[in-house]
Amino acid sequence: MIAAKGVHKWFGTLHVLKGVDLTVEKGDVLVIVGPSGSGKSTLLRCLNLLVIPDEGDILIDGVKVNDPKVRPEWVRQQVGMVFQSFNLFTHLTALENVVIGLRKVKRMPRADAERIALRELERVGLADKAEAYPAQLSGGQQQRVAIARALALNPKAVLFDEPTSALDPESIREVLGVMMKLADEGMTMVVVTHEMGFAKTVADEVLFMADGQILERGTPGELFAHPRTDRARAFVSQVLG
Amino acid sequence: MILIRGAPSAGRAGRRRDATIVRSTGNLTATLVFIIVLLVVLDRLGAVSIPFMVQWWPFLVTPAATALGATTIAFVVGFVIAVPLGLVRAYGPDVVRRKAPASVVVAPLYGLTTGYVEAIRGTPAFVQILLISAAATRAFTGLPNVELWAGVLALTVNTIGYQAEVFRAGFQSVGQGQVDAAKSIGMRPTQIFVYITLPQSLRIILLPLTNEWIGLFKASALLWYVAVRELMWAGNYLGYTQVHPIEAFFLVAFFYLLIIIPLSRGVSYLERKKRIPGLGVPEPTRPRRAGPRPAASPAAPGP
Ligand SMILES: Nc1ncnc2c1ncn2[C@@H]1O[C@H](COP(=O)(O)OP(=O)(O)OP(=O)(O)O)[C@@H](O)[C@H]1O
Ligand SMILES: [Mg+2]
Repeated sequence: MIAAKGVHKWFGTLHVLKGVDLTVEKGDVLVIVGPSGSGKSTLLRCLNLLVIPDEGDILIDGVKVNDPKVRPEWVRQQVGMVFQSFNLFTHLTALENVVIGLRKVKRMPRADAERIALRELERVGLADKAEAYPAQLSGGQQQRVAIARALALNPKAVLFDEPTSALDPESIREVLGVMMKLADEGMTMVVVTHEMGFAKTVADEVLFMADGQILERGTPGELFAHPRTDRARAFVSQVLG
Repeated sequence: MILIRGAPSAGRAGRRRDATIVRSTGNLTATLVFIIVLLVVLDRLGAVSIPFMVQWWPFLVTPAATALGATTIAFVVGFVIAVPLGLVRAYGPDVVRRKAPASVVVAPLYGLTTGYVEAIRGTPAFVQILLISAAATRAFTGLPNVELWAGVLALTVNTIGYQAEVFRAGFQSVGQGQVDAAKSIGMRPTQIFVYITLPQSLRIILLPLTNEWIGLFKASALLWYVAVRELMWAGNYLGYTQVHPIEAFFLVAFFYLLIIIPLSRGVSYLERKKRIPGLGVPEPTRPRRAGPRPAASPAAPGP
């Protein structure tokens, strides 16, 4: 469904992605792990063209989308994204945060948009917080609204960039709960995370990234139990404690 | 005065509103009391004549309206032009750095805008007014009210430079995370600007923008020098034809205060009333004399 082929990215002279390949099938959950600065966020942001690759292809359903003929806005409607720092629109209520994409991007009438938005807030257990502003919500609640915002556009896949890294343990459980439910419902997901419990339970495949390359890939069982490279071994033992 | 709204002490919200009124009418009253005491003392000392001021204040009404009108027109026209200039100032360098196709246009535009802003901020408003007025009255001799419109043009040229910087700062204060999120749901650049960046930055720049209006209104006094019949001209004329310059200039000062204080009060009321948690002005401080503390805000962790 989503694929990257030989993706390279430079920031100035810094070579951040050095020929990355990946494929996610419909309904699969792909987890990406790796040390800080290895290029995980950059890779994820290439998949919805928030970052434009310098070389290589991004394919959605086999169609090359990093192409001048394809509008990046269209691609981003197909592939939702959830950020580490939530990034809810601070001037809008929880409901309006979900509504705005339906209204402005999908051009829905307000009543329909609000009905769908409320349903999405219900799905993440926050229908009662519809009128609250982001600053009035806990981190976990904000992140769940952000997930609802991404889901409301009915994307083919959702990208998660360390969605629980800025949260306390209680909120981490809330958010992971929502994500596991999503995975169960068959959502295609690419998740950068250090939550090994989550990866073990729901990931169909795990990628280990270092220095802008994918060093290892496998099922969570294989990769976490028997890392082949020294880098992965060191990383796994550090993260699993 | 302008702040009184709704039934007093109608629950928590009513109490908070009362506190705002108490505070601001307190400030207004303090200013008025200060001026009145000063005038009465000076009157007793024989330095000023209150009866003269009572008799002649209506002479300043039309000039006050002229000053207000000139400032407002200049401010609004300046606003409309300053928004795109602020955009160029805020995002121009980024477009050029990314070597986007628009760079060909944006790079020179950024240079021109920056030069303009620096020129306006780096020279006295008085110099700008004399220069632009001289040029404009020469270019448009014979037009009715040419001095007034030349003055308005000068104020506009001045305020554009300052407002562009206010907007630049406002736009830059909206974080990249907000823009990324808007992009990630498929919004187009103009939509992101209209629905995300602009509403957020307007809340943040309401105060600096008010300050700019006040500064511009006070700078409109300089138009006296280019033959615009505004407040300062009127005060000077009244003072020296009636040989009561001190009273006349007191009246002028009074008129400025009468317009500026309610305006800034009104804006800060608006700022509180339209407040969004986490954006712009901090949460209103609680009234000291207004009963029990309101319940905790809904920021507590949820279920
Ligand atoms: N917009 C940018 N401009 C310049 N350099 C960047 C930019 N974004 C990322 N980088 C650099 O690219 C490298 C990879 O960054 P990236 O954020 O992709 O890493 P990461 O694996 O997500 O790390 P972390 O675990 O800390 O989030 C880093 O060295 C970072 O400083
Ligand atoms: Mg990252």
